Amino acid sequence: MKTFYHIEKQMLWLGILSFFMNSCDSFVEVDLPKSQLTTVTVFDDYATADAALTDIYAKIRDKGLLTGNNRGLSNQLGNYTDEIIPYGTPSNPSLNFYNNSLLAENSDIAQYWNDSYNQIYAANSLMEGIEASTKLSDQNKKQLKGEALFIRALQHFYLVNLFGNIPYITVTDYKKNSTVSRMPVNQVYQNIINDLESAIALLQNNYSEMGRIRADKYVAHAFLARVYLYTKSYPEAANEASAVLNQTDLFALENIDQTFLVDSSETIWQLQSAEAGQNTQEASTFIFLSGPPALVALNDNLVNSFSASDLRYSNWIKAVNDDTSTWYHAYKYKEQNFTSISKEYSIVFRLAEQYLIRAEARAQQGDLIGAKEDLNKIRHRAGLDDTSAITKEEILDAVLKERRWEFFTEYGHRFFDLKRFNQIDVVLSGSKPGWNASDSLFPLPQSELSSNPNLRPQNQGY
Amino acid sequence: MKTFSLNKGLAGLWYPFIFGFYLFCTPALARNTLFFSVSQQQTQVHGIVTDGTLPLPGVSISVKNQKKAVATDFDGKFTITVSPHDILIFTYIGFKTIEIPVAGRLVINVQMKEDATSLQEVKINAGYYSVKESERTGSIARITSKDIETQPVTNVLATMQGRMAGVNITQNTGVPGGNFDIKIRGQNSIRLDGNAPLYLIDGVPYASETIGYNQTSTIYPTPTSPLNSINPDTIESIEILKDADATAIYGSRGANGVVLITTKKGKAGKTTFTVTASTGAGTVTKFMKLMNTEQYLAMRREAFKNDGIPYNSWDYDVNGTWDQNRYTDWQKELIGGTASITDLQAAISGGSEKTQFLISGNYHTQSSVFPGNFIYKKGGSQFNLNHRSEDNKFRVTFSAGYNSQNNDQPAFDFTYDARSLPPNAPTLYDSNGELNWENGTWDNPLRNLNAEFESKTNDLIANSVLSYEISSGLLIKSNFGYTDLSTVETRTAPSSVYNPAYNISSANSSLYLNNTDRSSWIIEPQISWTKELGLGKLDLLAGSTFQNQTTTRLFQSGTGYSSNSLIYNLASAKYINVLLNDETIYKYQAFFGRINYSFDKRYIINLTGRRDGSSRFGPGNQFAAFGAVGVAWLFSNENFLKNSSWISFGKLRSSYGTTGSDQIGDYQFLNTYTTTGINYGGNVGLEPTRLYNADFGWETNKKLEAALELGFFHDKIFTTASWYQNKSSNQLVGVPLPGTTGFTVLQSNLNAEVQNSGLELTLRTNNFSNVNFSWTTSFNLTFAKNKLLSFPGLESSPYSQKYRLDKPLNIELVYEYKGVNSQTGLYEFEDINKDGKITFPEDRQKAVDLNPKYYGGMQNQLRYKNWNLDFLFQFVKQKNRVNPMGFAGQMSNQPVSKIDRWQEVGDIPTYQLYTTGNNSEAVTADYLYDRSDASITDASFIRLKNISLSYLLPMRSNTVQCKIMLQAQNLLTFTKYKDGDPEFTSSGYLPPLKVTTAGVQLTF
Repeated sequence: MKTFYHIEKQMLWLGILSFFMNSCDSFVEVDLPKSQLTTVTVFDDYATADAALTDIYAKIRDKGLLTGNNRGLSNQLGNYTDEIIPYGTPSNPSLNFYNNSLLAENSDIAQYWNDSYNQIYAANSLMEGIEASTKLSDQNKKQLKGEALFIRALQHFYLVNLFGNIPYITVTDYKKNSTVSRMPVNQVYQNIINDLESAIALLQNNYSEMGRIRADKYVAHAFLARVYLYTKSYPEAANEASAVLNQTDLFALENIDQTFLVDSSETIWQLQSAEAGQNTQEASTFIFLSGPPALVALNDNLVNSFSASDLRYSNWIKAVNDDTSTWYHAYKYKEQNFTSISKEYSIVFRLAEQYLIRAEARAQQGDLIGAKEDLNKIRHRAGLDDTSAITKEEILDAVLKERRWEFFTEYGHRFFDLKRFNQIDVVLSGSKPGWNASDSLFPLPQSELSSNPNLRPQNQGY
Repeated sequence: MKTFSLNKGLAGLWYPFIFGFYLFCTPALARNTLFFSVSQQQTQVHGIVTDGTLPLPGVSISVKNQKKAVATDFDGKFTITVSPHDILIFTYIGFKTIEIPVAGRLVINVQMKEDATSLQEVKINAGYYSVKESERTGSIARITSKDIETQPVTNVLATMQGRMAGVNITQNTGVPGGNFDIKIRGQNSIRLDGNAPLYLIDGVPYASETIGYNQTSTIYPTPTSPLNSINPDTIESIEILKDADATAIYGSRGANGVVLITTKKGKAGKTTFTVTASTGAGTVTKFMKLMNTEQYLAMRREAFKNDGIPYNSWDYDVNGTWDQNRYTDWQKELIGGTASITDLQAAISGGSEKTQFLISGNYHTQSSVFPGNFIYKKGGSQFNLNHRSEDNKFRVTFSAGYNSQNNDQPAFDFTYDARSLPPNAPTLYDSNGELNWENGTWDNPLRNLNAEFESKTNDLIANSVLSYEISSGLLIKSNFGYTDLSTVETRTAPSSVYNPAYNISSANSSLYLNNTDRSSWIIEPQISWTKELGLGKLDLLAGSTFQNQTTTRLFQSGTGYSSNSLIYNLASAKYINVLLNDETIYKYQAFFGRINYSFDKRYIINLTGRRDGSSRFGPGNQFAAFGAVGVAWLFSNENFLKNSSWISFGKLRSSYGTTGSDQIGDYQFLNTYTTTGINYGGNVGLEPTRLYNADFGWETNKKLEAALELGFFHDKIFTTASWYQNKSSNQLVGVPLPGTTGFTVLQSNLNAEVQNSGLELTLRTNNFSNVNFSWTTSFNLTFAKNKLLSFPGLESSPYSQKYRLDKPLNIELVYEYKGVNSQTGLYEFEDINKDGKITFPEDRQKAVDLNPKYYGGMQNQLRYKNWNLDFLFQFVKQKNRVNPMGFAGQMSNQPVSKIDRWQEVGDIPTYQLYTTGNNSEAVTADYLYDRSDASITDASFIRLKNISLSYLLPMRSNTVQCKIMLQAQNLLTFTKYKDGDPEFTSSGYLPPLKVTTAGVQLTF
C-alpha cells in the first residue's frame, strides 16, 4: 500500500514539473486572420495587386471629395457657391456650406482631408508594393503605377484648390508624413504635373477593357490639360486638350440627352457603380419628385441665367411644382433607382471640358478665332447660336458663362472657375449674405492642426 | 511567422486529462490509507441553535480534534453522534464561535451571540486563492448578494455604483442593453478603450471587448458590450482587486484592476425553494427646461431681424407654414413614456453534507420610454453542483450559467429629436392615423419607429474545479472553463422612414446584420501547500494558464427588397454585401505563483508573480514578467494592544508591484491588406489594413499602496484608509496621427507616464443592534487624482493639444470666456497671445479637469422586527459639459435660459444675440463658446441611488417565509446641473432611468 502511494506521488510531481517545462513559445503564436493577406503576398500576384488598385477607385466613388452623395463636392460646393439651395432639416450638412460659415471642426471638412490622404496612402502603398515585387511583370507594373500616380495627382489637385498650401505626400512612412509642412501652391502643382507626365509615359491608350472606368493615357492627358489651365500655362493646356480632342475615333460630343449615359462617347473617365443595375449617387442626391425638396434644389439664380432655348435648360434641369411653389433640380443623371443594367455612371472627365479648356487657352494666347470655334462647339450642341463675343475679354467672359451652364453640379467647377477668374468675391458677395473674402479657402481641419504643429497657422479667417 | 505547431502546442492539452484521470482514481485508493480511531462509547446528541429568538440554519457543528462535522437544518436543529467527553464547536458567520463540552448530555440547546469582529473571519476571494479578511495584504473591495438583491437592475456594473471605494462607474444610456463605463483607480492608459478591468466569472476570464457593430447598434453611444449577459441575480459576491498585491498574480491583465464574480452555490440542508416576482416602472430622471412656442418663435423672429434677412421659403416654423400656436412638449412626447418592468426568479437549493446543488432560473422584461412597442427580454438559468468525497480529500465543483437576451429597440435614440424639435412642429399623426409629413416640411421623428434594432444574444459560461488533497496541506487543483457567446444583431433602414412623397420604394430598403460568436477555453492546473511552522504559517501556490479565445464576425448588408415585409430576410435582398468576414484568435499562456508567510498572526508577507505570453504581440515581444510584494502588520495582536478595551482590530499594510495590459486587439503587429468586400470593375477590393508597426510591447503599471485598518469597540466602528499611487508607463496606444499619414491612428508604445493617486476611506458602523432593532451604516469616499507625469516630445506630438504635463488625462483645453460684448452682442474670449483674434491653438489653452474630484456612497441598513430598510446615497463632485444645443436662433429648440440674450447696445446678458446662421461671426463665437470654460459647468450630484424596503410576513408555519419588497433605483437626484441628468458621458442619448418596483418573495 505504502509503495503504491509513493509511486503515485512521484508520478504527480513528474506531471506537475512537465507543466512548467513545457515550451510555451509556440502556444501563443497564431495564424493570419482569414480576411487578411500579408502585404508581400498581395503584390506577388497581378489579380490581388489589381484589387488593391481598384479599391481606390471604389473609395473615390464612395467617400471624400468626388463621391456623388450629398457629402461630395458636387453638392457641397454647389451650396457653397450660387448653384444650390439647401432644404430639409437643420441637420442638413449642406447648411454650413450654404451659409459660408464653415468651422475648423466641421466633420465634412475633416472627412475630405482624411479620405483624400487615405486614398493617397493607398496609392503610395501600392507603388511601394509593386516596386518591391519580384513576381509582377514589367507591363503590369507600368500600368498599376501609372494609375496610382494619376490618383495621387488627382487627390492633391482638389486639396490644393480647396485648402491652399498643402503637403504633397509621396511615401507611406508615417514618421515623415506626421510632421510634414505645407508646400506652396505652385510647388504642389509642379508635383502634380510631374506625376501626370510620368503617368502618361507609363500608361497605354487602352480603356482597360470595360467602360472607361479606369485611368488610361487620355484620362491623364485630359487631367493635365486642366492642371495647365489652372496654372495659366496656356500653350501646354491647349496642347494637352488637343491630344484628347484629336482622338476623334474615341471621343465625340453626344446629343444633350445622351451625354450622361453609360456608353456616351463624350466620357473620358467615369466611376462605375458598386452593383450591376445601380445608377449614380448624384441622381439620388439631386432628384426629388415632390416639393419641398428633401435635401437641395437648384438656386433660382442659376436657373434664370439660362436662355429659354438652351437645350441644357430643358434637358438637364427639371421643375417640380405644388399648388404654390416651383422648385428645380439638376437632371443630368436621371436614374434614381436600380435598373436592370446600370444606365448611368458618375462622369468625372468629359470631352466638353476639353473644348472649353482649349477655348480659354486659345483666347488667352490671342487665338480668338480658334477660341470661338471651340466655344461654339459646345453652344451648338446646346442648341444655341454662335457666340456674340468679339474681344478677348468678351470671349473669356463667355467661356466662364458657358462653363457655368455646362458644368453646374459637377465636382465644384463653378467654385474653381470663379476663383480662377478672380470673380469669386464680386459674384458671391452679391448673392450670398454670409460670403467673406477669406471663404475662398476652406479651413484646415482642427484635428490636423492640433496633431501636426508644422501645418499651422490656420488659413485666414478661421 | 511560425505556424502553430500542433504537436507541441497540443501537448499542453494532454496534461489536464492525465491530471483529471489521476484525480478520478485517487480518492478510492486514498481512502484505504486512512486510519480511523473510533471511540467505543458513542451517543447521539441533538438540540436547537438560535440567536435568542429565531432558529439559525446552517450553523456548523464540529467535534474538537476530530474531522466530524454537521450543520443545523432550516429549523436550527441538529443531531450528531459523539462520545460523552467530546467538546462541540459551534461556528457561524457573523456570530461568536463557542465551544461546549458534551459532558454526557443528550440534548444541547445553544444560543449564539452576534459578533461584529467575526466579519474579519470572512474568506475573501482573491482569485487563485482566498484569504481571511483580517489577514489579507492586498486591497480588495467587495459586495455580496445582500447588496445586489435590493437593486432592480439588470447590468452587473450597475450593482456596484456608489458602493465601492476607488471604483467609478458611469451609465452611458438609459436604453436597456446599453453600456457602463468603469474605471478602477482612474485612467491608466492614454488609450480610451484600454482601461477595462479583467473580468472573471468563477475563475473563467470573460472578455469584455465589444460584440457589437457600429452599423447595427446605432441606438447606443458605443457598440454592444457582452457584460449585459451576466445576470446579477445569480451573483453571490463581487470582489474588486485593486492594488499590486492583489492584481500582480493576474500579470499582464491586471493593470486596470480585476473584477471577480462568484456565482451562488448550493447549500447543505433541507431543500429550499425560493420564488421572487416583482413588477415596476421606469421613467427618465430629469428633462431639460426648453423654450415653449411663444419663446421659441420670438427667438426665431429676432434672429431674422438681427441678420437683416427675410424668412426663407424653407423656414417653415416662422414663415407661417406651420401653426404658430401649436405647442408640443417633445421630451414628454418622445422620451416621456413609462417603461414597465417585470422580473421573475426561482431557485431550488439543497443537498447533503457531501453534495449540494443549486438550480435557478430568471426572466426579466422591460419595455421602453420611447413611443412604440419595444421590449428588452432577458432570461437565464444557473446550475451548480458541489461534491466532496467521503474523506473530504477530493472535491469537485461544477457551475454553468446560460443567459439569453432578446432586445428590440428603435434604431435611433429619440433624445436628440426630443430636445431639438421646434415646439410648434406639426402633429405626429394625421387624421387617418398615418405618420404626418406636413407636406414634406419636416422629418417626422416617429419615422424612426419603422427602423428597428434587434439583438439576440446567448451566452454560456461553464466551469469545473477539481481538487485533491494529497496529504495534509498539499492540494492539487485545476480549473476547466469554457465560454460560448453568440449574438445576432440587425438594424433595418426601410424605405418607410422617408416621406412617401419622395417615392422611395423598398428597392432602397436596407438591412444591416452582425453575427458575432466568441468562444474560449481555459485550463489552469495549480498546486498549493500549506504548512504550520511553529508560530508561523507558510502558503505556497504555483500554477499555469492556457487560454484560447476565438472570435468570428460576419457583418453583412442587404439592399433592395421587393417589399419591406421581407426586410429581415437577407436572401430577399437584391444586393448582398459582406462587409466583414473575420476570425480572430487570441492565445494566452502564463505561469504564476504565490508565497505567503505569516508569523504569529502579527506579521504577514505575500509575494506573487506571473510570467505571461500573449499572441497580441509580435515575435520577440510576446513574453513579460510581473510581480508584487505585500506586507501586513496586525498590531492589534501585539501584547500592548491585545487587551485594549477600545481598539479591537488594527492592521497596517502596504504593497508594491507591477502589472501590465495587453488590451490592444489582435494581430495589430502584422503588415497586411484586408478585403473590403466592395466591388469595382469586377474586382473585390483590398485595402491596407493599418499603418505597420510590429515593434510594440507591454504597457506596465507600477502600483504602490499603503493602508491602515482599524476596528474599535469590538469592531462596532470599523474604518479603513488606503493611499495609492499607480504609475503607468510604456503606454500602449493607438497614437492619433495627422490625416496626412493616410490613417488617423498608429499602434505603438508611447514613452509617457501617467500617475493615478488617491485616498480611499471606508467606515462601517454598527450603530445599534439588538433582537428587534439593528442599524448599520457603511460609507465610502474616494479622492482621486490623475496626472500626466512625463511625455517626452509632447509639444511636437499629435497629443500637443490634448494633454498637458502635470494635468489629468481627462482635461479639456478651452478658451477663456470673458462675457458678452455689450456693443456687438457677441461672446468674447481671452486673446492670450494678443494677436487681435481668437486663434487655435494659441488661445485655447486653459485646462479644465473633468475627472470627479471625489465620489462615494453612504449606505444604511435598518431592521426593525420584520421590517428591513436599506438605502444608498451616491455622490459625485465633478464638472461636465453643458448639453450642446447649437447657436440660438436656428430652427432648433433651445434651453429656456437662453432668453437672457443680447438685444441692444448696452445689454450685459448671459447669452449672445440670436442668429439664423447667416451671421458667421456669431456662429463662430458660439462655436468658441462651446469650447470655452463657459460650457463647463458643475455637474455634481447626490442621488438616492437605491432604496429598498422589505417586510417579512409573520407566518404560522416556520417552514414558509414570505417577504414583500419595495425597491427603487435613482429615485431622487439633487444637482445644480440644468441640462438633464448629470450622469452622462455622451450627449444626445437617453439618461439613466428612475426605476421603482414592488415584489414578493416566497421561500419554503
